[in-house]
Amino acid sequence: MRTPPPRTERTIRRSLLRATALYCALIVVAWCALFPILWALSGSLKTPAEIGRSNLLPAQPQWSNYTEVFSLMPFWRMFANTVLYAGAVTAGQVFFCSLAGYAFARLPFRGRNTMFLLYLSTLMVPLTVTVIPQFIIMRVLGWTDTPWAMIVPGLFGTAFGTYLMRQFFAGLPADLEEAAVLDGCSPWRIYWRILLPHTTPALMVLAVLTWVNVWNDFLWPLVMIQRPSIATLTLGLVWTQGQHVSRWPVLMAASILMLAPLIILYMVAQRSFIRGITMTGMGGR
Amino acid sequence: MSARGSALQRRRARAGRLFVLPNLAALLVFMAFPLGYSLYLSFTRSDLFRPATFVGITNYRQLFADPLFGIALRNTVVFTVGSVLPTVLISLGIAALLNRKLKGIAIFRTIIFVPLAVSAVVMAVVWQFVFNTDNGLLNIMLGWLHLGPVPWLVDPHWAMVSLCLVSVWKGVPFATVVLLAAMGGIDENLYEAARIDGAGELRRFFAITVPLIRAALSFVVIISTINAFQAFDQVYVLTGGNGGPESATYVLGIMLFQHAFGFGEFGYACALAWVMFAILLVLTGLQLRRGRQEDT
Repeated sequence: MRTPPPRTERTIRRSLLRATALYCALIVVAWCALFPILWALSGSLKTPAEIGRSNLLPAQPQWSNYTEVFSLMPFWRMFANTVLYAGAVTAGQVFFCSLAGYAFARLPFRGRNTMFLLYLSTLMVPLTVTVIPQFIIMRVLGWTDTPWAMIVPGLFGTAFGTYLMRQFFAGLPADLEEAAVLDGCSPWRIYWRILLPHTTPALMVLAVLTWVNVWNDFLWPLVMIQRPSIATLTLGLVWTQGQHVSRWPVLMAASILMLAPLIILYMVAQRSFIRGITMTGMGGR
Repeated sequence: MSARGSALQRRRARAGRLFVLPNLAALLVFMAFPLGYSLYLSFTRSDLFRPATFVGITNYRQLFADPLFGIALRNTVVFTVGSVLPTVLISLGIAALLNRKLKGIAIFRTIIFVPLAVSAVVMAVVWQFVFNTDNGLLNIMLGWLHLGPVPWLVDPHWAMVSLCLVSVWKGVPFATVVLLAAMGGIDENLYEAARIDGAGELRRFFAITVPLIRAALSFVVIISTINAFQAFDQVYVLTGGNGGPESATYVLGIMLFQHAFGFGEFGYACALAWVMFAILLVLTGLQLRRGRQEDT
């Protein structure tokens, strides 16, 4: 063992200097992450004349920019639509993926492994390849420009969700359900009453990821929906941006309104958020 | 095996098939079938109004002769390299910074990961405001240094730079989360041993941290490349649905969207989609093989 060096004035000053440098670096990085959002927040409260100036705090906060958003686009209608789509898809995804994940992990049947290989192979398929046939399917069903197009494709769960849940169910100890199986308890009861309560962390991760994906989705609503009355917030924002070019205060107010719910979700469910990202790679979208 | 046991097994197997069914059906209808169907469509001439007619490899031949495909491919490669490389390097540094045990580090992590919650669409609208030539923040700040104004989104060269910048801003938190998780799994004793041997901070980082998180680095590179290669949302919103200015941001994602949903040329667009898929498979395979070779 090495004896610790005596804490002379020089070493203290050096470690102090190091800590200061580290905190400075952290503050710079944090500023880089936040400044576009803060700048948008600031812009949403400025007058059009004030937009070109560098002050972060508006001279006189213009809350009317926010009320103007509501008159330029049916904001609350689109908000409700987005909540409906995200809520339905998230509920369906969590239920059907956990059900299938339970079966893949705990209920052996013939062809199960082959089937799971099919699941794994579809994980690689990019949206680019499937979006055109999916569009055609919606046309054939007559669902384009209806809420069904936004809900049904995601309602019964995805391969990724099932894969995630399978891994989690497989990791639960076997003796959790052993007694119940021997007692003749039905697989449904075992799933619903005994195992599901133990999977809450995984369910949270899946729910958060799904909610964020639907909330932020753009390409699918863009090709599916024309009517403002059933549009999502992303569509509404892009339409408003197209019609009111350079009306920055109002556009920033709309952006902040759209951003706020997800930032709140992130603050509340940060752990699930971060865990979901380490497990997937939804990041780029 | 007792009779009771096998009856139980049959019951459980039946339940298993039943529980998988809804999810499997959705997978077949919305993933497996579209996969095969788009391959079939890529060999047909098909659009919104006429039934598909088989034309062999005509679409592929046309695609490779299409000068716009060359432009889109070139732009996509530039964008992918120009966004993935800085993203990985920057996030490596930030992850190392966030991996330290400092007071208040949790708050910094929370703040630095905030862009994870921002959608590509909102992000693009907000950055348009930041990039704005006349009164955007970046040009205001450059003005303090008596530089600029830079026509960020108007000039063809700067437009690609702007696009990369936005994607790096959005991509770094994701990559940092993954790399940070990998760094957290490294045994502290390794660093302690290296310190006693007199290895400096940089040396420890490159000799211990980087080699030990290689799997995570590889994962980040693959996922970021896949996402960048198919980029659509941020391009569409930031520089418009035509990939302007002067096709400087005309990437493959925009080209696919235009042909499929602008012109209704499903066959041609599907051929493009499969070429993109093939390129991605080759890139991913190469990256995975490189990772394996380094391990042995």
